Amino acid sequence: MAAENWVYMVTAQTPTNIAVIKYWGKRDEVRILPVNDSISVTLDPDHLCTVTTVAVSPSFDRDRMWLNGKEISLSGSRYQNCLREIRSRAGDVEDKEKGVKIGKKDWEKLHLHIASHNNFPTAAGLASSAAGFACLVFSLAKLMNVDEDPSQLSAIARQGSGSACRSLFGGFVEWKMGSKDDGSDSVAVQLTDEKHWDDLVIIIAVVSSRQKETSSTSGMRESVETSLLLQHRAKDVVPKRILQMEEAIKNRDFASFTQLSCADSNQFHAVCLDTSPPIFYMNDTSHRIISLVEKWNRSEGTPQVAYTFDAGPNAVLIAGNRKVAVQLLQGLLYYFPPKSDTDMKSYVVGDNSILKEAGLDGANSVENLQPPPEIKDNIGSQDQKGEVSYFICTRPGRGPVVLPDQTQALLDKKTGLPK
Amino acid sequence: MAAEKWVYMVTAQTPTNIAVIKYWGKRDEVRILPVNDSISVTLDPDHLCTVTTVAVSPAFDRDRMWLNGKEISLSGSRYQNCLREIRGRAGDVEDKEKGIRIEKKDWEKLHLHIASHNNFPTAAGLASSAAGFACLVFSLAKLMNVDEDSSHLSAIARQGSGSACRSLFGGFVKWTMGSKGDGSDSVAVQLADEKHWDDLVIIIAVVSSQQKETSSTSGMRESVETSLLLQHRAKEVVPKRIPQMEEAIKNRDFTSFAQLSCADSNQFHAVCLDTSPPIFYMNDTSHRIISLVEKWNRSEGTPQVAYTFDAGPNAVLISRNRKVAVQLLQGLLYYFPPKSDTDMRSYVVGDHSILKEAGLDGENSVESLQPPPEIKDNIGSQDQKGEVSYFICTRPGRGPVVLPDQTHALLHPETGLPK
Repeated sequence: MAAENWVYMVTAQTPTNIAVIKYWGKRDEVRILPVNDSISVTLDPDHLCTVTTVAVSPSFDRDRMWLNGKEISLSGSRYQNCLREIRSRAGDVEDKEKGVKIGKKDWEKLHLHIASHNNFPTAAGLASSAAGFACLVFSLAKLMNVDEDPSQLSAIARQGSGSACRSLFGGFVEWKMGSKDDGSDSVAVQLTDEKHWDDLVIIIAVVSSRQKETSSTSGMRESVETSLLLQHRAKDVVPKRILQMEEAIKNRDFASFTQLSCADSNQFHAVCLDTSPPIFYMNDTSHRIISLVEKWNRSEGTPQVAYTFDAGPNAVLIAGNRKVAVQLLQGLLYYFPPKSDTDMKSYVVGDNSILKEAGLDGANSVENLQPPPEIKDNIGSQDQKGEVSYFICTRPGRGPVVLPDQTQALLDKKTGLPK
Repeated sequence: MAAEKWVYMVTAQTPTNIAVIKYWGKRDEVRILPVNDSISVTLDPDHLCTVTTVAVSPAFDRDRMWLNGKEISLSGSRYQNCLREIRGRAGDVEDKEKGIRIEKKDWEKLHLHIASHNNFPTAAGLASSAAGFACLVFSLAKLMNVDEDSSHLSAIARQGSGSACRSLFGGFVKWTMGSKGDGSDSVAVQLADEKHWDDLVIIIAVVSSQQKETSSTSGMRESVETSLLLQHRAKEVVPKRIPQMEEAIKNRDFTSFAQLSCADSNQFHAVCLDTSPPIFYMNDTSHRIISLVEKWNRSEGTPQVAYTFDAGPNAVLISRNRKVAVQLLQGLLYYFPPKSDTDMRSYVVGDHSILKEAGLDGENSVESLQPPPEIKDNIGSQDQKGEVSYFICTRPGRGPVVLPDQTHALLHPETGLPK
């Protein structure tokens, strides 16, 4: 080997994902095995992603991690499980250019530096754990030359955070609950890639929340322990919905996709309400958004927009095509206008080209909006400023990728410390 | 018979009731037969009641009804069913003093005038239909000298409005779902009278609502048609809760009573959320009240207050005794103060004597309130004025009674028209 202070690193980018058939409840808290299957759509990492740089060097004296610039502890079981599982699958690595050669057996004696960064706020409730653990596992697998496919890697990511397993793929993904106790068959598989149904446009309303929310981990445990409806959901309802959703995705059947997504989101929140103490993730703003979408869908005869909510008040709205997305955005901005003097490009982020298509890129363009004809009344008036913090416009996206350009690395290539 | 212009009338007063094990879903829309049993507590008619005067006279040319001063149509099937059923059981009536004699066979040719008045606003969502139909049936039964006990009368009231059957008794009441196709065994029975557990104090928070709510009738029909959790609730959950609640009431076991009431209220709302389109009866204010109560109960170790919500945002809070009720009211007024210059006696109605016990009858007494120690944080700040319109303080109460004093009558003794 060359000088003992070489630093070898890999940087990767991973998307986040949103479940359309929900995971809520574990049958095994340690291995993170769920009580039912779940299906998700991966979001475009151009808009929402985690970037992680992992580095190894003989000069590192212990494993260290920095998340969004702050050093955090790796001592928790979720991190320890992921690190142990990935290390045990490490292979030989050789970088001739740098003169770095690591044998399979060397990895257990080497320490890692990990830096991870989300391009969206953790407080926004946008599933940063999922993207984060997926990125950790994917980037370590690349670093350590692990010879496993994404499904096998997903079983490791799963042990960091259940929904992370679904971020190992782009497009539409299913996390199969599995039946083995060791969880080796509780893995994610890709149903279709991100090009399969690329008409879909996803608009996320980041809803202002005053309440500190119940964490998913404790919430779902309380639901398993106290909800008399959860087992019925897991055993009788979800298995049928999974099959129907697989068909809907395969056939690009938006009407079925919508009916299933909305019903499953609502049932998940119903189980939360059926918990003791009850968990309320959605708030009045979430409900107003649902009313808007439900009324519009019914007035059009065939569903135009699907909605789904995770463990928080944010609305994830999936429009069947761009034209519908533009109308949806106009409706949303009518009912949830920005505070005065807000720059529209900071109120609608992600794919902001939609602003121009919606005629909303000029000054005062929001004041000129007309109420959507189908849903004129009963949603409330156009004065609910501040209920929505901002909107993100995105689409189904690709799975994890390595970022080969050193400028994107989060660790300095010589010191291995955060840049 | 004396002059053809005699008017014979009866005035009665009926309470309203709040279900603690909920009725939500019919197996027969015409006869109003439910999918599960339900249990309720009758509220003190001194505070919330319907008064109905029913009159008969040969001078009346058609059946007419006035509700809260406005004439309404009796042509709907609910009114027609009640009128037909009660007329079918009419007996002989003689008032020697007035020289009136009506025979069983005469009733079908005579017409009725009915005037009904609720002492609480319909818009407050306080189950005015239940009290109203119960009063209609009870007063007509008295007028027509119907020889049936209260449970038999409840089967008639049930056909006007399901929950009306439970207002035929005071105290704690059960509506047995029955199994016969004709509904003759779907009746209310009294579990315990109003004196059995008279320590209980009931505080209702009438929550401001901006939305027009889904009616119970259409809401529960949509739930039956679309909720995959409703049947499981009706077949598996409620049948176990009913005997547990009967035991809790019999034994004055407040801990079990609270656990069951809260769980059942939440499950009812969970089924509403699991409906397509989803129904949201509770709002953020309702949720804040639940959080307040849940935190307090947990900090005390043993439940102090039970909560239950019907098809609207109003909170019905049941305290185990007066001392707890006073503390609860102080906590509620801290978090939901009245707007400035509000007279406390119009902000806390019903049994106002509780204001004095809570030290809240003086000027500026609300500003002097301290936050309850157990629940200092996380409920939100003391600036949510206007979220609660007002509070009603009441208790378990008696069943229907005749009001013999003519001054209570809503119809004029000579014309039979509204006074």
